[in-house]
Amino acid sequence: MRNCNVRLFCACLLAPVLAWAAPPSPRLLLPDFSALASKASETVTITLDSALLAMAGRFLDGNDPEDAATKEVLKGLQGIYVRSYTFDEDASYREADIAGVRNQLSAPGWNRLVETHSRKSHSNVDIYVMVANNQPVGLALIASEPRQFTIVNIVGAIDLEKLHRLEGQFGVPKLEWDSPKAQPPNTKK
Amino acid sequence: MNEDLESRLRAALRPVAPGEAFSQELIARVTADGVSPARAAGRRRFFAPAGWLSAALAASLLLAIGVQHHLQERHQREQGMEARRQVIEALRVTSQKLHLAYVAIENQSS
Repeated sequence: MRNCNVRLFCACLLAPVLAWAAPPSPRLLLPDFSALASKASETVTITLDSALLAMAGRFLDGNDPEDAATKEVLKGLQGIYVRSYTFDEDASYREADIAGVRNQLSAPGWNRLVETHSRKSHSNVDIYVMVANNQPVGLALIASEPRQFTIVNIVGAIDLEKLHRLEGQFGVPKLEWDSPKAQPPNTKK
Repeated sequence: MNEDLESRLRAALRPVAPGEAFSQELIARVTADGVSPARAAGRRRFFAPAGWLSAALAASLLLAIGVQHHLQERHQREQGMEARRQVIEALRVTSQKLHLAYVAIENQSS
């Protein structure tokens, strides 16, 4: 009986230590945006876990250049989660709506790679990366514009170079990220 | 003369019981032709109403399995195509926002 009590006491002491030592998860807990979704004119809600990513990979044609590039990006990914809401009017959402996600990104493990603000388009884009063993294991992107906000969370061994190579596809113009001008992270205008 | 001939014919055409060898040879020939007594009995069973019912049930079962398999394959294909569409949409949104960040950085640098 005494041994049992000692074990219980040790377990109680160890639990917070283990919880603290547990590696932070690159998967964000995305809030329920249903109230905003009802006000939005366009909504993109994508939840793809590893099983669905594997399934999608089987339906990508390796002979098609766009599909092949997408397939390359998917290698090593465990999840892609996207929430994007577009509104007909300005200020249809509050910064507080995204605060819950921002709070998670202030946890240890997440590093802000890029922080941009454009006065011209009144848009902010923040890109965070979680790194483990010198390998990116998660990416989070928060883009807020007057009539739109987007949250992207990619979980897994994401290859930023491959993701970058996707630019120029999906209707997005190709730009040279490797140019010296585009290098500085943590830049705020 | 006529009587003599008649008696000779009767003697020659009198009924004779077949020997054991004849029966065995007959059964052997019937078996060789593929119409064994067991098969004949099977045919009779097949053409009986109960035989038709069994065959119809088996055919229905096979058809149901085939249809189920086809529907399952179609469902999986639809799911796969939907997952593919979502992946492409997710990467399109991500690329757009990366582009937005790049433009902001470029404007700031220039």
